[in-house]
Amino acid sequence: MSVLNLKDITKKYGELAAVDGISLDMERGKVLSLLGPSGCGKTTTLRIIAGFTSPDTGTVEIAGKDVGHLRPYERNVGLLFQDYALFPHMTVAENVAYGMRHRGTPTSEITTRVLRMLSLVQLTGMEARRPHQLSGGQQQRVALARALAIDPQILLLDEPLSALDAKLRLELRLELKEILRSVGATTIVVTHDQEEALTLGDEVVVMNAGKIAQRGTPTQIYEAPADKFVAEFVGRSNWFHASKRSQSTDGLTSYVADDGLEIRTRASRPDSEGGVDLCVRPEDIELVDGTAPESAPSPEHNVLAGVVLDVAPLGADVHVVIELPGKSRLLAIRKNVGRGSEILPGQSVRALFSASDVLVFQR
Amino acid sequence: MKSGGSQVLPHLPEAAANAPIVKSAQKRIVGARVRAVKSQVLLLLPAVAVFVLFLGLPMLTVLNESFRTFEPGRIGSVEGAPLTIENYAELFLPVYMRYFSQTYFLAFCASLIAVLIAFPIAYFIARYASSTMRKAAMTLLIGLTFLSALVRVYALQLAFGSVGIFAPIMSALGVNMNGSLYINCVIVVGLLHYSIPMSILILIGAVQQLNPRLTEAAQSLGASALSSHLTVTIPLCIRGLVSAFLVSMTLGISAFIIPWILGRGRVMFISNLIYSRFSEITNYPSGAAISIVMMALSLLLIFIMSRLFTLLDRT
Amino acid sequence: MRSKRNADVILAVSVTAIIAVTVVFLLFPVIVTAFMAFDAREFIGPFPPTDLSTQWFVKFWNSGYLWSGFKNSVQLAVAVTVVATAMGASAGLAISRMSPRWRDLTTTAFLSPLVLPGVIIGFALLMFLSVFNVLPVFPRLLCGHLIVTIPYTIRMTLVGLTGISATLVEAASSLGANERQAFFTITLPLAKNGIAAGAIFAFAFSMDDVTISLFLSDYDTYTFPVALVGLIRSHFELTIAAAAVALMGLTVVLLLALDRVLGLERVIGQGVYRT
Repeated sequence: MSVLNLKDITKKYGELAAVDGISLDMERGKVLSLLGPSGCGKTTTLRIIAGFTSPDTGTVEIAGKDVGHLRPYERNVGLLFQDYALFPHMTVAENVAYGMRHRGTPTSEITTRVLRMLSLVQLTGMEARRPHQLSGGQQQRVALARALAIDPQILLLDEPLSALDAKLRLELRLELKEILRSVGATTIVVTHDQEEALTLGDEVVVMNAGKIAQRGTPTQIYEAPADKFVAEFVGRSNWFHASKRSQSTDGLTSYVADDGLEIRTRASRPDSEGGVDLCVRPEDIELVDGTAPESAPSPEHNVLAGVVLDVAPLGADVHVVIELPGKSRLLAIRKNVGRGSEILPGQSVRALFSASDVLVFQR
Repeated sequence: MKSGGSQVLPHLPEAAANAPIVKSAQKRIVGARVRAVKSQVLLLLPAVAVFVLFLGLPMLTVLNESFRTFEPGRIGSVEGAPLTIENYAELFLPVYMRYFSQTYFLAFCASLIAVLIAFPIAYFIARYASSTMRKAAMTLLIGLTFLSALVRVYALQLAFGSVGIFAPIMSALGVNMNGSLYINCVIVVGLLHYSIPMSILILIGAVQQLNPRLTEAAQSLGASALSSHLTVTIPLCIRGLVSAFLVSMTLGISAFIIPWILGRGRVMFISNLIYSRFSEITNYPSGAAISIVMMALSLLLIFIMSRLFTLLDRT
Repeated sequence: MRSKRNADVILAVSVTAIIAVTVVFLLFPVIVTAFMAFDAREFIGPFPPTDLSTQWFVKFWNSGYLWSGFKNSVQLAVAVTVVATAMGASAGLAISRMSPRWRDLTTTAFLSPLVLPGVIIGFALLMFLSVFNVLPVFPRLLCGHLIVTIPYTIRMTLVGLTGISATLVEAASSLGANERQAFFTITLPLAKNGIAAGAIFAFAFSMDDVTISLFLSDYDTYTFPVALVGLIRSHFELTIAAAAVALMGLTVVLLLALDRVLGLERVIGQGVYRT
């Protein structure tokens, strides 16, 4: 049975539809990432589920019951705010106990549960501290403990890690994932950070302009994006625009890009007015020395010759920018394997990528 | 005191301070700083002179006068009149104590009511009003605080006074408009007419500094709107509430025109007592003593409130 | 669950009621006064007026007693505005360049007249000035009004200067401007709106003051509010309503000017309404 069921939710602010006909259902115990750029309607969706915003049309069901008429405090929804919204005039323990106190939990039970929650988020011993005495990461965990303490049917996390610095964010992301898994909380994570969405979510919903662009597992989202928006938003990508298709042989289709390059693809789309957009992920591109005799590993491979423009070693990866004959640029990401295989700017190279790695989108 | 331009000076490395070039530069900067301080003093001088001459010295005159013996029939004390504490001692007579208790009690009532009424309104304006409505409300509120005290008093007199337009309704309801209870109520109403808009303006600022997510967090955790305000909003706005109360109280205890006109001579505030000392019996020493006591009480109030502030900050 | 919601309904209803009653309470006397000023009856009758006329305005216009006070008040307010603005602006500029500790101390000292009862200021000045019996009424009034208006001109100058960081002046100095040039090209232009707002406050509070003026006026030279308060106490009639309408008009004009010069939000945000 689904824990959450949104049907055809629309919310307009003036002329602008913040949420435009969203339907979504969620199973118990799953973690769903709601990913999209700012202003795509993800936070509005969250506030509708929590009951702070009422939708213009559509229904919200929690555990099979329509909760449209219920106030936030009548729903059993835990909410972690972007800025945590910890009560500054209460101690950590009082913050965590707040929800239970207002739900009539007996005092003795509150005390034990507060301790259990704090040990869950590894803040044992911090009961008497005040929020301003804690680090950003600790504050975030107090907020999580506070939201979990009421044993919510759904836990909503609004950009849970965005207030932290990059290094801490990475650390806490894994910790958060572990806590969510151990509690088994049905969770929606709203984020604009694709890495966060892909690591935390069992499933990812990508939103764009108030609509759901795609729903799928992290792998599906990355490897088979439903449209150009998803492909562009999730991961890095190289784009070619092609207006004409030359031929199809061996189940392969040949497109001629606007700058004259010929690119073969496994996937195919029917012809359209605006042509097609072709997408290649930088990590699918293999680079070989341009001076070596040309040899494609298989007939399926595309081979593009070019000159290295820039090399940026970024830790485990090296980002290489190649200029192709048509002045268009190609980004390739290769593993940083160390000395001997270095590529230098000005070097001529050939970029190899398989036709099945090329994504084709209709304009 | 330091001028903006000279902040680079302390960062000069000490080892280099002996170098002649740096030294001359330092001299120049120090010179600039002295000039800056000089120009600051010059800029402050006129205002300081006015304050010392027309506030400081007059206050000392009051203090001096308050210890002089009053001779009935004279205006003010005679030069070199004997010193006495008589003027202070007589303030402890019940008849004088009544003026003080009346003033403080009515000002307290008005301030409390003002803050209680102002808070929900300020919260509404700060949180829910659209920007045009906010602007309209602000304009109205500032306009009301700007309104001449006389216009206010006259308008209230016209509405609630003994010959006012409500008089027929009041007498039909059996309200004794000459009773001291009614007069006290009208004075509180008069004080409220000023302290409510003032308190709303102060509290709008306080509410705006409060993170709206906090109240939402409380409600998502299961607190009703009412209890979320009682447990989160109000405790976090306490500074603003105390401020609004303090301002209302200060204005209330020093009120002059409102009790003078609306009190119809039957209810007098301390200010009115001082004025009558001056205008009716020209007993300046007594008026001076009352002024000193009133100032001491005002300072005490401010002191208590600021202690309350630091206490609130600590918790 | 139900009781929580009932509490909220009661809360919502009472807040709505409080707002409605307060709006009526705050506006009703003002509206009554405005209407009664146009009353055609010869006496103060029940509201609303049965017939409208401008007779009270004509009486107000022809009252030599009120006009004399009005002229004095305007002259006084103009003089006060000029002097208080000049002194307040220069003091404000000096204060803004002090270290935070000194700044707080000096500001508090200069704002102290705002918490002092007007009666005490008036009484003290009267006694002090009676020592030098020679001073005529007009300069005496000027002194009294300066004490209560300079706090506002200083405060508003400081409000105008907040947000102007010292780095701007430093930037000007680094670009070769000397102290004086930096002051006239950077600080003063940036502070001028705050100074102008202070001037408006000074004018408004000088026009409005009764308490201090009451002590310092005499039978020949008195201000408009002093004349009005005398009239309210002796003959309670509707000429005063007409005068009150004129004062309200003045309030509106000053308010518009204040909004134009500094913006009302800013006046409240960091202005005189904060303690």
